[in-house]
Amino acid sequence: MLIFFILGIPLFLASACLLIRRQKLLGILNCLGYLAVLCLSVILFKQIASSGLPKSFLGFVCLDTLSVFFIFVIAVVVFASALYSIGYINRDIQKGIITKQKARIYYLLFNLFCFSMFFVPAVNNLGLLWVAIEMTTLVSAFLVGFYNTKESVEAAWKYIIICSVGIIFALLGTVLFSYAFSISGLSKSLNWSDMIPVAHILDKNILKIAFIFILVGYGTKAGLAPMHTWLPDAHSQAVAPISALLSGVLLKTAIYAILRFGIIIIKGVGFAYFAHLMIILGVISLIISSGFILVQKDLKRLLAYSSIEHIGIISIGFGLGTPLACAGALLHVFNHAVTKSLMFFGAGNIVSVYRKHNMNAIVGVIKALPFTGIIMLLGLFALTGFPPFSIFFSEMMIIIAAFGKGAYSIAALLLLFLAVIFGAFIHHFGKMLFGNLPKGMIKIGEPLTGKLAFFFLSLLICLTVAASVFIKGDWVWMVQKLFLV
Amino acid sequence: MQFIILFTVLVSTYLMVIAKRMPALIRSFRYQSFCLFLATLIIAIREDQLDLYVVAGSLFILKVIFIPQLLYRTIKKIKASEELGLFVNPQLSLLWALGFTYLSWVFSAHLIGSSDAVRVIMLAVAFFVVCAGIFLMIFRMTALAQIVGLLVMENGIFLLASMVSGGMPFFVEIAIFFDVFVSVLIMGFFVYRINKFFTHIDVNKLSRLKG
Repeated sequence: MLIFFILGIPLFLASACLLIRRQKLLGILNCLGYLAVLCLSVILFKQIASSGLPKSFLGFVCLDTLSVFFIFVIAVVVFASALYSIGYINRDIQKGIITKQKARIYYLLFNLFCFSMFFVPAVNNLGLLWVAIEMTTLVSAFLVGFYNTKESVEAAWKYIIICSVGIIFALLGTVLFSYAFSISGLSKSLNWSDMIPVAHILDKNILKIAFIFILVGYGTKAGLAPMHTWLPDAHSQAVAPISALLSGVLLKTAIYAILRFGIIIIKGVGFAYFAHLMIILGVISLIISSGFILVQKDLKRLLAYSSIEHIGIISIGFGLGTPLACAGALLHVFNHAVTKSLMFFGAGNIVSVYRKHNMNAIVGVIKALPFTGIIMLLGLFALTGFPPFSIFFSEMMIIIAAFGKGAYSIAALLLLFLAVIFGAFIHHFGKMLFGNLPKGMIKIGEPLTGKLAFFFLSLLICLTVAASVFIKGDWVWMVQKLFLV
Repeated sequence: MQFIILFTVLVSTYLMVIAKRMPALIRSFRYQSFCLFLATLIIAIREDQLDLYVVAGSLFILKVIFIPQLLYRTIKKIKASEELGLFVNPQLSLLWALGFTYLSWVFSAHLIGSSDAVRVIMLAVAFFVVCAGIFLMIFRMTALAQIVGLLVMENGIFLLASMVSGGMPFFVEIAIFFDVFVSVLIMGFFVYRINKFFTHIDVNKLSRLKG
């Protein structure tokens, strides 16, 4: 039942945007709504994970541990983003960049975007899953093109076209899955809960080809290289709270879709096929993103390429496939969502003060914005996988799993590129955060709600550290439950 | 009857690949969608299912009437040149299309084994239509032609779904139609904006964001 509240609250908030005129009130309402969603998702997670069995409601919703985990991750980032939005949008209105009318449109789109993302892990039907993911593209295209500049319109166009084409391939794959299902003489259905038990009798040839289409299609949306070209443009041009949503959870919904089909493929064709494809794409993503990170000049694009890197790591984690690796990958999904949102919020603050994306022109952030600067410095170490932070643990789990499985070359590649990216990040951020203030710049504080969002996310990073240290066994147990449905 | 429809689909797709100007492209798209409508209608009559009639009806309204009309209107309003901006000239495009036809035939024969000739042909045509859509998206430079390319790909998948696996479940089909409808509206909206900001809709020249 709870899932219907989780889906209903964004819709309710979206309709509230049509009725309420004061955008400040809307922002606060948004926050409270998503706080409720966050609490509900935690309760839902407990319910489903403790029973361990998939639970279906009204036929079209079906939840298992994997889906409630993703719902939880989405809820976390959406809440943080709603919190950050209040201050960010207010400041934009004060500066006259957007009108009050437009702020209402922003909240409307924000809620619709969140609704479509919550819908993805909830649906049972693979066709509707496709529709939901395409819906996320369509709604967020407006949010990418929100500022109506030449660059943002170009980014929105590339985003919508590349993702639509990509996702058409996913539809082709879905049709082939249903074809494989229909020629095996079973009743027509596209529900994953019906497909998993019979996966082993489906035609292997068709499943293999269908999965390639799925991987290309949803991989485009997930930002796996070489289909990632829309990602840096869209992430760099979107409104800052939306960049966090795009990078933190939109990519993860596509990963969720790949995993859904992946589970069927593992049962139907065997694990090796799935593993090879995921690892190859993951390694390509790592290589390409590390190259672009080294030479990057634009702050938000830098973070966008770092998303590609992390998606690559996640995909390698699932490709390795041992319980430890999968646990690491799932944990990484959460850690990356939280840390990257933090970094995008920080980048949003920096860009709105300096009015530039170019990292060469940004110096002395710690002096201009002491709070953001320090948080960014910590976030930088968290993002690149420095020991006391949460990403270190999930990356470690994946690397240990790779060594444990005997995949030394993969572990070596991972370590190499992580080191390269670490160096590049320190280089870029070192120049940006330290140094003297540029002339004519005055010290400005951040809005309170923005600070709250930072505190919330930092708290989560610390909590995950504690959780990964103390309940490591539980993670592995959860993953075993996931894949042995 | 099915073969006639498949053949017409094939011909209309070839016409699209060699089209030089936007109206010709849209007209051929209309023919293709009409063929799909006929095919669905025939299946609906044969199986006498209300769902399929609804699918056929919405296909007709959406893809034969509404979307082409919308595209025509957009061309008129933005007053951009009607040329498609070909990267590859029509003759060469035709060769490409022939190559695609052969490849999709080989591919589908490989996929389901050549025993079932009717299925192989259906699958081959469907895959060819998808390939032609990709071709249009890559080798035509205007934003509107890209929208049409996307729609052509979608048509190919619809053909695949309806002919090979007996269609998707009803509500999925309707949801996909709705999705296509919304995406065309939104893309149309962005074409207006691109035209406003850049005073052209040549996507090849959209190169402000790099690296």
